[in-house]
Amino acid sequence: MRVSYRWLKELVEIAETPQQLGDRFTNVGLAVDALENSGNDAIFELDVATNRPDCLSHLGVAREVAAIYGSALRPPKFQLRESEKRAADVFSISISDPDLCARYCGRYIAGVKIGPSPEWLKARLELLGVRSINNVADVTNYVMLELGQPLHAFDADTLAGQQIIVRRADFDEKLTTLDGVERKLNPSMLVIADAKRTVAVAGVMGGGETEISASTGNVLLESANFDALSIRKTSRALGLATEASYRFERGADIEMARFACDRAAALIQELAGGTILRDLIDVYPRPRTPVTATLRRNKIGAFLGASVDDAIVDGIFERLAFKSKHTHEGWSVEVPSHRVDIGREEDLLDEIARHHGFDKFPATLPKWSGYGSSLPSESDERFLRNRLAAAGYSEIIPMAFSDESTERKFRPQIEPVRLTNPMAEDEAVLRTSLVPSILRAIQWNAYHGIRDVQLYELGKVYRNGGENRSLIIAATGALRPKGVHEAEREFGFYDLKGDVEDLLHAFNVKLQSGVDSLPAYYHPGRAVGLGDLLVFGELHRDYVRDYKLKHRVYMAEFDVQLLFESRAPRSIEAVPRFPSIRRDFSLLLNKAVKYADVEQAVRAVAIPQLIEIEPFDRLERGPFPESKYALAISLTYQSPDRTLTDDEVEVFDKRILDSLRQRLGAELRQ
Amino acid sequence: MSSNDGIGRLRAIERQFDEDRVSVADLKAVEDIRTRYLSRKAGLLTLELQNLGKLPKDQRAEFGRVANEVKLKIEASLETLQATIAQREKQNALEREAVDVTLPGNRRRIGHRHPLTIVRKEIEDIFVSMGYAVEDGPEVESSYYNFDALNFPPGHPARDPRDTFYVSEHMILRTHTSPVQVRTMEKIQPPIRIICPGRVFRRDAFDPTHSPMFHQVECLVVDEGITFADLKGTLERFHKRFFGEKTKTRLRPSFFPFVEPGAEVDVSCVFCDGSGCRVCKGTGWIEVMGAGMVHPNLYQFVNYDPEKYTGFAFGGGIERYAMLKYNINDLQLFFQNDMRFLGHFE
Repeated sequence: MRVSYRWLKELVEIAETPQQLGDRFTNVGLAVDALENSGNDAIFELDVATNRPDCLSHLGVAREVAAIYGSALRPPKFQLRESEKRAADVFSISISDPDLCARYCGRYIAGVKIGPSPEWLKARLELLGVRSINNVADVTNYVMLELGQPLHAFDADTLAGQQIIVRRADFDEKLTTLDGVERKLNPSMLVIADAKRTVAVAGVMGGGETEISASTGNVLLESANFDALSIRKTSRALGLATEASYRFERGADIEMARFACDRAAALIQELAGGTILRDLIDVYPRPRTPVTATLRRNKIGAFLGASVDDAIVDGIFERLAFKSKHTHEGWSVEVPSHRVDIGREEDLLDEIARHHGFDKFPATLPKWSGYGSSLPSESDERFLRNRLAAAGYSEIIPMAFSDESTERKFRPQIEPVRLTNPMAEDEAVLRTSLVPSILRAIQWNAYHGIRDVQLYELGKVYRNGGENRSLIIAATGALRPKGVHEAEREFGFYDLKGDVEDLLHAFNVKLQSGVDSLPAYYHPGRAVGLGDLLVFGELHRDYVRDYKLKHRVYMAEFDVQLLFESRAPRSIEAVPRFPSIRRDFSLLLNKAVKYADVEQAVRAVAIPQLIEIEPFDRLERGPFPESKYALAISLTYQSPDRTLTDDEVEVFDKRILDSLRQRLGAELRQ
Repeated sequence: MSSNDGIGRLRAIERQFDEDRVSVADLKAVEDIRTRYLSRKAGLLTLELQNLGKLPKDQRAEFGRVANEVKLKIEASLETLQATIAQREKQNALEREAVDVTLPGNRRRIGHRHPLTIVRKEIEDIFVSMGYAVEDGPEVESSYYNFDALNFPPGHPARDPRDTFYVSEHMILRTHTSPVQVRTMEKIQPPIRIICPGRVFRRDAFDPTHSPMFHQVECLVVDEGITFADLKGTLERFHKRFFGEKTKTRLRPSFFPFVEPGAEVDVSCVFCDGSGCRVCKGTGWIEVMGAGMVHPNLYQFVNYDPEKYTGFAFGGGIERYAMLKYNINDLQLFFQNDMRFLGHFE
C-alpha cells in the first residue's frame, strides 16, 4: 500500500525524516518495500501483513506512528451540515443476511453537482496511484485511503423503490459491473439490490447502471461492513479483486463505518454541493461485542526471555490506544475495534515485543539435555554418494513435474499423481520414473556441447497414493576423452556393469544371476533385470533417437531402499597363511555358451579349495571353427590349513575340466 | 737384458696407458683397455711381467716393485674410469627417460555432489551437532497438515489454487515443510527439537528468482521454558556456523499464521560484511528466513498444553543459502543440471 508522508503528517506529529520513519516502520513490522521522493512529498510502499488490515489507510498507519513516537493522533475534522428532511423518510435500507453483512450505513445527499475534483484532490489520488473520475467518486476513494473504510456512491435516482436490500444473489443472476464486464452471480455471493434487481456485488464492485454520472443529482452513499471470508470467496469466484475487496477480506473496522460515511458526506457536500439529509441510516443488526485480553506479568519473561518494566508495558498500551487496567497478575486490556488481530495473551506479548523492540531481548540457547540424530538412512546415503562421486558420477536435481504420455512410456502400469492446476500441460503429473529427467539432463548437456557425462540422481518418484526414493545412474560418451597421453575410451556396457558391481559390493549385495523381463526402453541384448532391486543396461536406440541423442546411453536403476536394507556389516576372514595356486586354461566353447554357464559348470564340482574363478581373455576368431570361441580362465585354489600339492591341484583341475566337457562340450585348447 | 730396459718398457706401457685412457668413452672401452693391458694371457703388462724370470736375481725386486706400481696404478685408474663412466651412463639413461612434467596429468573423473545436497547436509550437520533430530514427511500432503493444523484460516490466500498445486480437493503438493512439524507433534510429546529439510512446491513460474519446486529447511522446538530469546540465540548460532563467526543476525517483526510474534530473519550481508553493496541493496542485510514463537493455536491440534509448553519455529530456502554461500544469482541453475555448473562443487 502506498502511503504519503505529508498526509501522515496531517494526521500525527512526525519530527523525523521519511528515511528515519521508514526504519521505525521496519522495526515494528511494517515492511517498507520502497521509499521514493515525489516533489515535496515522500511515498512509502508498505507491505502490510495480512493480519493488520488496520494499517491499510493513512489514519491506520498514523496510529502506528503515534504509537512509535508517543505523539497524539489527529483524526480528520469536518462539519456536517444536515437538512431538516430526514434521510429515512426518502430512502430505506434493509439487511436480509446479517451473517454476511453486520452493518450498513447510508447517507443521502440531494442535489449534488457532478464535476471534476479540485486539483489538490486529483494530485493526492494520483500520487497514491488512483485515477481521478469525478468529485463524488474521488471522495469515496479518498476517504477509503484516509480511513480504510471502502465506500460506494450510487446514483440514488437509479435505485428502484428508493431502497437498498442486502441479500444473497439469486441463481443465474447477472450484473454488468463498473468495468463493463457482465458477471454471473449465484447465492454464495452477497449483493446490494434495489426493489427490482441487483445493483452491486457487495464489497467488491458496483454496477454500471447505478453509477454516478454527469447527470446524477442525488447520491446514496454506502459505508458497510461485510464478512471477510464471503468477500474473499466472491472476489476469487469472479476473478475480480478491488481496493474494497482487498480491505474487506482482511477485516475492516466495523466501528469506522459510521464515521467514514459522515466524513465522506461532508466532503461531497464541500466539493459537489447538495444537501445532506438528516440522520445517517445505520442498520447494525449484530453490534460488535468488545474484546478484552489479559496479560500476565510473569508471562513476559517466560515467553520473551526477559522481563519488561510495568511502566514500559503501560506506555506501550497507552500509545496503542489500548485501554488497560492493572490486575493482580498483570493487565486487562480492552482491544480497540480496528485491531481485529488481537484477542489473546500471545497477541499482547507480540505487541510488547514489537514496540519495546526485538533488539531489547537477549540471545540465548535453549537449555536441554539429550542428543541429535540424522535420518535413519543418512549414513547409507552419505556412503552411497561418496562411492558414486568416486566412480565419476555427478548428482543432478531435476524438476519433479512431467507429462503423462512420457510417464506412460516408461512406467505404463503406474497411476501418476495428477495436478488439477498445473503450470503447463507438460507439467501436469509428478514423475513416476527417474529415467526421463536424467535423459533430459543428458540432452541439455549435449545441446550445450558436453557429450561425456556420468550422472546420478537419488530422488523421489511418485505414484497415486505414495512416494519413494529411487536411484538412477547414467553415463554416455567417453569414459576418458582423448588426451595427450591416451586415446579416447568410450563408455561401454561393461563399464556400467563394473560400476553396478562395485556398488553392490559396497553394500555387500550378491549379484544374483538370472534374467527378468526388461522394460521396453532397454536394449534387449544389452541389459539385465534383477528382481525388484535393479535393472541396468544400454538405452534402446529408439529412445536414444527420441531424445535426439547421438551417443549410446547406459543406465542403472536401483531400488535404493532395498539396497540400503541389504547392507550388512562384513565379517572378515583371517588373512590366509598358506599360498594360493593359480591355474590358467584356455577353453574352446560353442558360441551359445555364456560365461555364467562356465562358472556354473565349474562351481558344480564343489571343490572347497577353489576360491576364485576369473575369465581373462576371450577370442572370437582363431585357428578353430567359426561356431566356437576361445575363453581363457584362471582358477585359484587355496587351503586355510596347509599348502596344496601339485598332485592335489591336478586332481581338482581334472574334475573341473571333466565337468566343463560333459556339461558344455568344452575342449581344452593346447 | 737389463732391468733398466725392463723398467723403461714398464714406464713406456704406463705412458701408453695414460694416452689410451683419454679416449675411453664407455664401459665397453673400459673392458677393452683392461684386456689390452691386464689380460691374463695377452695383456701388455702381463706379457712384460713374464720377463721377470729372465732378469738377473738382484734386479728382479726392483723390476717387480715398478711392475706392481704400474699395475696398481692402471687398476686404480681403470676403477675410477669405470665408476665415472657408469655414473655418467646412468645419468644419461635418466636424462633419456625424462618426460615433460609440465604436461597435465591423467586425472580420473570424480563426480560432484549437487550444491543443494552439500548445503542441506551442512545445515543438517550443524543442527544435529546442536542436539536436533532430522525428520521428513510426504511431499504430496493433505491440506489439513499443510494449512488447517498450522492456523491458516479458511480462505487464506496461500490456499488459493493460483498459489498452491492441488491433486484433489484435500490433497496438495506441500508448500512448506511445516506439515512434518505437525506430524511429529502428533506422534510424540515435548521436548520436540527437530529440523525438517525437504522439497516444497509453489505455483510460481520458473525464472531467476522463482521456481515451482524448491527446497526448505524448517526448525521446531517445543519444550518447557522456551523463549523468544532462545529463538534469537539459536538463529544467531546457526548463522555464525554456516556463514562464519562474524555474521550478525537480526529479527524484524512480521506475520505468519503459525507463529506469534513472527519475524523476518536477516543476516549481515555475506558479500560486503554489512557495509552495503549491490546484493543487499545498500542495506547491509539480507533476508533469509521467517521465524517466530509457535502460535498457541497449533498446540490445540496436537493436544499440547499451551500453559506448560512454549516453542519456536523458523524456516528458509536451501536454495537461498546456497546462492549466498556460492554467489549464485540464478535459481534456474540448480535445476538445469548443466555440468558447467555442477562441476564447480566438491
